[in-house]
Amino acid sequence: MLEIINLKASINKRDILNGLNLKINPGEVHAIMGPNGSGKSTLANILSGKNGYKITGDLKYKGENLKDIPVEQRAQKGIFLAFQYPLEIPGVNTNNFLKTSLNTIRKAKGEKEIDTLAFLKLVKEKAKELGIDEKILSRQLNVGFSGGEKKKNEILQMKILDPNLVILDETDSGLDIDALKTIADGVNSSRSKDKSFLVITHYQRLLDYIKPDFVHVLSSGKIIKSGSRELALELEKKGYKKIN
Amino acid sequence: MIENFKISLKEIDKINLINQEDKNYRIENLEFFNKKGFPTKKEEDWKFSDLREIFSKNFKKIDINDAYPEENNFRLIQEFDHNYILLINGRLIRSDFKFEDKNKIKITGYKEENFLREKSNNPLICLNNALSNEGYNLVVEKDYKFEKVLVIYNLFNEDLSEKILNNKNKIIVNKNSELHTIEYTINRSKNKFFNNTYENVILYENAKFKNICIQAGRSEGYFHKFLNGSIKSDSKYSSFIFSSGLKFNKQDIQIDLEGKNSDCEIKSALFLNKEDHQEIKTIVNHLVPNCKSFQKIKSVLDSNAKGVYQGKIFVKDIAQKTNAYQLSKALLISENSEFDSKPELEIYADDVKCSHGSTSGNVDENSVHYLMTRGLTKKEATQLLINGFLKEIISEIKSDTIKKFVENKLEFQVYGY
Repeated sequence: MLEIINLKASINKRDILNGLNLKINPGEVHAIMGPNGSGKSTLANILSGKNGYKITGDLKYKGENLKDIPVEQRAQKGIFLAFQYPLEIPGVNTNNFLKTSLNTIRKAKGEKEIDTLAFLKLVKEKAKELGIDEKILSRQLNVGFSGGEKKKNEILQMKILDPNLVILDETDSGLDIDALKTIADGVNSSRSKDKSFLVITHYQRLLDYIKPDFVHVLSSGKIIKSGSRELALELEKKGYKKIN
Repeated sequence: MIENFKISLKEIDKINLINQEDKNYRIENLEFFNKKGFPTKKEEDWKFSDLREIFSKNFKKIDINDAYPEENNFRLIQEFDHNYILLINGRLIRSDFKFEDKNKIKITGYKEENFLREKSNNPLICLNNALSNEGYNLVVEKDYKFEKVLVIYNLFNEDLSEKILNNKNKIIVNKNSELHTIEYTINRSKNKFFNNTYENVILYENAKFKNICIQAGRSEGYFHKFLNGSIKSDSKYSSFIFSSGLKFNKQDIQIDLEGKNSDCEIKSALFLNKEDHQEIKTIVNHLVPNCKSFQKIKSVLDSNAKGVYQGKIFVKDIAQKTNAYQLSKALLISENSEFDSKPELEIYADDVKCSHGSTSGNVDENSVHYLMTRGLTKKEATQLLINGFLKEIISEIKSDTIKKFVENKLEFQVYGY
């Protein structure tokens, strides 16, 4: 699904990623853990296609060179990033935005556009699963949403757009335990043999709920250790410093 | 014929039904205009819109319009029930107040005697004083609230090549009455023309007047409008401006809050594109205590468009407990677009709440990126953001059908580029 080979990235002449390697197969859930400033969010940004980074190395998504694929086409081809800080978009109705987004992706896949009725049914169903109050969906996108509502809204978008590769960038930050469980349930119920997840987090806690197949430790822009879920528990006990 | 944009005194003789006193007043105004000419950026009120330069670039000559043919393909708005008046090139052609009590409404064409013979040192007002011969007068009698909106169709003919049209309109809303209008400009002219309007609005005690100004299609029109509003106690004036697609448009609005507890709102959402040049200039005069004014101007500028907002709040020494607010926000889409803003406060009272702000910037790159990660192209994401930016103003229109109507007009502009 995703293959990263010797990825180096810098921004404003500051090196952030220093030769990162990672391979994610279909159906796998990978977690990347690391301290502040280790390059976690940079990795998420680069995968989403955010510009401003100087990049070397190989990035392959379903065999295609990811660097050649513009941002919107990455989404259309099935890459989804749940933002650490979802942006507030004033004046844009959440439901209208979701429908526009879904139809753009369906069109790109050669599918028929969804009509309003079918769309509302779909949203209602998915929102209910995530315990999202339907009222917020007729409000402006993320404007005045609580931290939890914003994060849930990201997962709702994930559910509706039905991507192949999901990157969760610190989706657990700022969430209370109930919201965390709801979001984890939302992710777990989407797991399938042809969907892959990259879960980026500071804390082990999220991994109690979203159980990863692999855990990687990111430090100074490199993966310094990989292992099974137990590695996350070890990290929690010892802290990042001792892992070196 | 106007040579070098100087106007022959003979033009005044062509205006019907004027007495000697009126003629002298017109001559005086015309001589003033001929001496001053079209205003230039050297004048403070015109520092961002050099009309003389714009004129000399775009017009070789300019003649006074004398044709008012009715067009066959005029269609009423279907989306909502409304009363209407139809103006063609500024002349009142007909009116229909089928939803109202006709005894409570007076509508007539231009009447000389309805306007005071005031002196002005604004050359365009003088030009209007000298040559105005068309327009309408609307009076709403006391204790009457309009059932439905009144649409003022302001239609301009196809063949207005290098013509100038001077109109004077007057709207009076008497005590305890309410009027809601939509001034809907339909521009058929494929050639350049200049429309110079003077409008006088008087709201008596406890009256409400709300106007939505819509100008949506692209046209070769050059517009200037001076509006003077006189607002008596407990009355409310509210104006929404959604005009774009014009080569030049300046709305010069002066509102005098003359009675206690009077209230004035000016809101605008503008999408300017191509070579559009649009200015909103306001002066809100707080002349008595306890009055409120609110102004919010949002502009989006693309291509080589230029937008200007000059807003002044004046608070007289006796106007205590004034509450005045003014905000201008501009989004510049293209590097070649320009927005100039000059907010001004002149306050002589000490117990007042006055605030103003002005921002201009580019579309937020992070927001564009966020939307693009959901499959939207850069253009689609930008359009969605522009539309959202301007929609904030439209969302304040209370009637859903009218809101939808204005939204559609705006979307047509935003998504058309």
